[in-house]
Amino acid sequence: MTTTLERNATAQIPKGGGLARRQNFGTAVVAGVVFAYLFWLIAHLTLDSTGRPFGDQVATFTGLGWLIGFWIGIGAFNGPFRWLLGRDHSHADDMYYAGQNMGKARYWKFTTDHKVVGVQYIVVTMVLFGVGGILAMAIRTNLIAPGNHFVNQQVYNSFIAIHGMVMILAMIVAVAGPWGNFVMPIMIGARDMAFPRLNALSLWTLVAAIGLLVTTLAVGGLPVGWVVMDPISNQAGIGMDFFALTIIAFTVSTTVAGVNTITTMMTMRTKGMTLERMPIFTWGVFMAAALGLYAFPYFLVAESFQILDRTSFTSFFVSTGGGTGWLQANLFWLMGHPEVYVILLPAVGALFEIAAVMSRKPVFSYRTAVGSMAGLAGLSALVWAHHMFTSGWAPTLGGPFMLTTEIISIPTGLFFLVLIGTLWRGHIWMKLPTIWLFGFMANFIIAGITGIYLSDIPLDDQLHGTMFVTAHFHYVFVGSVLFGAIAALAFWYPKVTGRYLNEYLGRISFWFVFVGVQVTFLAMFVSGLRGMPRRYASYSIIFEHTNFASTIGAYTIMIGMIILGVALVTSWNKGEPSGPNPWQANSLEWMVPTPPPLENFEVQPVITEDPYNFDKEMVRR
Amino acid sequence: MSDQDNKKPLKLFFWLWAIITVAGVAVSLWAPGYLMPRSMSNNMHLTILTMVVFSVAAAPVAAGVYAASIYMLRTWSYRGDDVPPPAPVIRENNKVVASWLLASTVLTVFLLIWGLGALAVDNSSTGKNPLVVDVTGQQWVWSFSYPGTHVESNQLYLPENREVEFRVTSDDVTHGFWIVNMGVQVDANPGTITTIHTTPNRLGEFTVRCEQFCGLNHSFMDTEGFVVSTQNFNSWLAAQPQRS
Repeated sequence: MTTTLERNATAQIPKGGGLARRQNFGTAVVAGVVFAYLFWLIAHLTLDSTGRPFGDQVATFTGLGWLIGFWIGIGAFNGPFRWLLGRDHSHADDMYYAGQNMGKARYWKFTTDHKVVGVQYIVVTMVLFGVGGILAMAIRTNLIAPGNHFVNQQVYNSFIAIHGMVMILAMIVAVAGPWGNFVMPIMIGARDMAFPRLNALSLWTLVAAIGLLVTTLAVGGLPVGWVVMDPISNQAGIGMDFFALTIIAFTVSTTVAGVNTITTMMTMRTKGMTLERMPIFTWGVFMAAALGLYAFPYFLVAESFQILDRTSFTSFFVSTGGGTGWLQANLFWLMGHPEVYVILLPAVGALFEIAAVMSRKPVFSYRTAVGSMAGLAGLSALVWAHHMFTSGWAPTLGGPFMLTTEIISIPTGLFFLVLIGTLWRGHIWMKLPTIWLFGFMANFIIAGITGIYLSDIPLDDQLHGTMFVTAHFHYVFVGSVLFGAIAALAFWYPKVTGRYLNEYLGRISFWFVFVGVQVTFLAMFVSGLRGMPRRYASYSIIFEHTNFASTIGAYTIMIGMIILGVALVTSWNKGEPSGPNPWQANSLEWMVPTPPPLENFEVQPVITEDPYNFDKEMVRR
Repeated sequence: MSDQDNKKPLKLFFWLWAIITVAGVAVSLWAPGYLMPRSMSNNMHLTILTMVVFSVAAAPVAAGVYAASIYMLRTWSYRGDDVPPPAPVIRENNKVVASWLLASTVLTVFLLIWGLGALAVDNSSTGKNPLVVDVTGQQWVWSFSYPGTHVESNQLYLPENREVEFRVTSDDVTHGFWIVNMGVQVDANPGTITTIHTTPNRLGEFTVRCEQFCGLNHSFMDTEGFVVSTQNFNSWLAAQPQRS
C-alpha cells in the first residue's frame, strides 16, 4: 500500500538532497578532468622520468584517472558507497534515480530507467556516426584523385584507424543500444532491466570510452590501423595508450550490458511469456549479448597486454622478448569475427520483426529464425583465423578454417529464407521500415557472396588486404547493418516520440543512401580486384576512375544521412502524431501508452500466445 | 488461387530469376579476367578461374533474392495509410525449409570441395630445383637477394617457367609481400621466415605491393619486377654488383 502511494506521489524531487542529486554529465566531465590531472600529477611525482616508457606510463595513469573520475562524477559509485555505509537506497531514492518527474534533466544523468538509457543510446549512436562519418568524408576526399594530399599523410593514417574504431562502436550500439534497452524489456513484459544501475553504468562507461578515443586523436593519433597489430603499434605515440584504455572501458561497458540483458531475458519475462512466444527481435538481442560476453574479453586481454608491454617491459607481443605479434593477431580476431555478428544479429532480429508486422503475417518458421541466429553465433567463434590466412601463421589450419567459414553461409542463407518466407503472400505495407528492409536484402546478398570469395584461400591470397575486403565489410556494415538500424529506427521511433519519422524525408534519404552505397562500394570492389591495397593514402593512376566514383558515392551517402538526421530531429517534436500503436502490432511495447510510463505497465500483463496473430481482433490503439 | 491465400502466378518471378541469372553469369564469365591484373603465374590463373566459378555459382542465388524482392514488391506491396488486412497465416513449411537447407548445403559443399582442391594445388610445390629468393621488407622498401650469388636488388627479376620459393621476413614491422600479378601473398614478419611458392609463366613486368599496413609510407612500397627468360635472368644476375 505504501508503495502505491509513493509511486503516485507527484512532488518527488527533494529540495537540496546533497551532492549525489546534483550529479550529471557536466559534473562527470569536470570530475574526469580533475582526476585525470591528479593522476597525471601523481605519475609525474612518483615515476622515474628517464626511461622510455615514462610517457606511456603517464598517459595510462591519466587515462585511468579520467575513467575513475568520470564514474565518480556521474554517480556510478553512489549506490555501492551508500550500501557500504549501511544506508541502502530507499524506494524514493530508486524512483529519483529512475528519473521520475524530472523532465529532460534525466537524459543528462545516471538514470536507471531503461527507456531513458535507450534514448541516450540513440544520441550516442548519432554522435558516433557523425564523428565517424566526418572522418570517412575526409578519407574519401583524400582519395578523390591520385597523389592528392587533402590531409597530411600521418593524420590520414590516424583517420583510418579512428574512423574504423568509431564506426565499429557505433555499429555495435546502433540497434542493441537504443532498442535492446528501450523496447526489449517492454516486449518481454518486464518493468525494467534486471540491473537498472548496471544499465546506466554501461551507457556512461561507453561515453567515458568515447572521451578516451577522442583523446587518442588529440594526443598524436593512432597511425597504425584500427587493428593495432604488433609490432607496428609500438611505433604509435601515447595515443596508443588511450586507445587501449578505450577498449578496456568499452569491454567493461559491453560485458555489463551483456550480463544485464541475458539476466533480464532469463528472469524477468512476464507470466506466459515462454521462450517461443518472445518477439523475434528479443532473440537477436539475446544472441548478440551472449556472443558479446564471449568475444569482447579477448580484446580486453589483448589491449591489457599491449599496455603492459608498453609501460612495464613485459613481452607478450615483443618477439625479441619471446613473445609474438601473432598472439595479438589471434586475440584480436577471436574478438574481431564474433563482433561482426554481435553487430549483425540485433539488426537481423529487428528486420524479422518488421517483416512480420508490416506484411501482417507471422514470422516464417520461428524456430528456423532462432536456430539460424544461434547457429551463426556459435559458428562465429570458430572462424577467427580466416583473417590470418596470409599471415604465415599455421598454414596447416587453412583448410579447417576455410571449412568453418564457408559453413556460415548456411545459417546466413536461412536469414533470407525467413525474411522472404515472412513477406511472401503477405500484405506488404510499404512504409519507411519496409523500404529499408528491402534495401537490406539487396545489399546483404552482395555482402554475403563477396564474403565467400574471401573465405576461399586461393582467392584470399589475391584479395586479402585489398580494397575488395574494405568494400565487402562496408556492404556488411553500411549496406546491411545500417539499413537494418534505420529500419528499426523508423519502426520504433513512434514509440519513443509519439510521432512518425518523416516519411517523405525518409524516402529521399533512402534513395541517396542506397544509390550511394552501390556506387561507392561497387567501385571499391573494382579497385580491389585491380589490385589496390587497403589503407593507402595515395595510389597509382590506374585506380583513378574507381576511386573518383567511390568518393562521389560517399558524398551521396553523406547527403542521404544528413537528410535522415534532419528528419530525425525535426520529427521529434513536430512530426505527424502516431498514437501508441501505429503499425497495429501485437507485441507488448505497442500495448502500453506512448511514451511508456515509468515501470511500463499499470497491470502486469499475462501472455497467452505469440504476437504474430494479426488475423485476430486486436487490442486497438 | 483464392484471395484468401493471396497466391499469385509465379511466371513473373521465374522470368525475373532467369534473366538476372543469365546476366549474372555473363558478368561472372567476363569480369574477373577483365578486371583483375594480368595473370603471370599458375597461382594467378587458378585465382581468376576460382573467381569465375564462384561467381557463376553465386549468380542464381543472388538472382533469387533480387527476383523475389522485385516480385514481392510488384505483387504484394500495399500502399495505403491505413493498416493492411491480415495476410494468410503461414507459420511453418517444412518442405520449403528442408529444400532450402539442402540447396544451400549442396552449394556450400561444392564450394568447399573446389576450395580445398584449389588450395592443395595452390600450395603444392613441384620440388624441382626451385629458385630461392630471400625477400626482406623494411620501412618502406623491399629488397630481394638471391642466395648463393651475393646479389641484392630493389627490383625483383624472376626467370620464366621455373618455380620460385620466396623466403619472406622483415627488418622492422609486419609487411605484406604481395605479387599482384601472381596471386600469392604472405606477411613479412620480423624474426620469422614465411615461405610461398609460385611459378611465373609469362614474360613481362609485374608489381609487388605491401598489403599490411606498415606506417607512414605504406602506400609507397610499390616495387616493379620482371619475368624474363632464363638466359636473360642469368645475364642480369651476372651484371649485378656483388655484395660480399
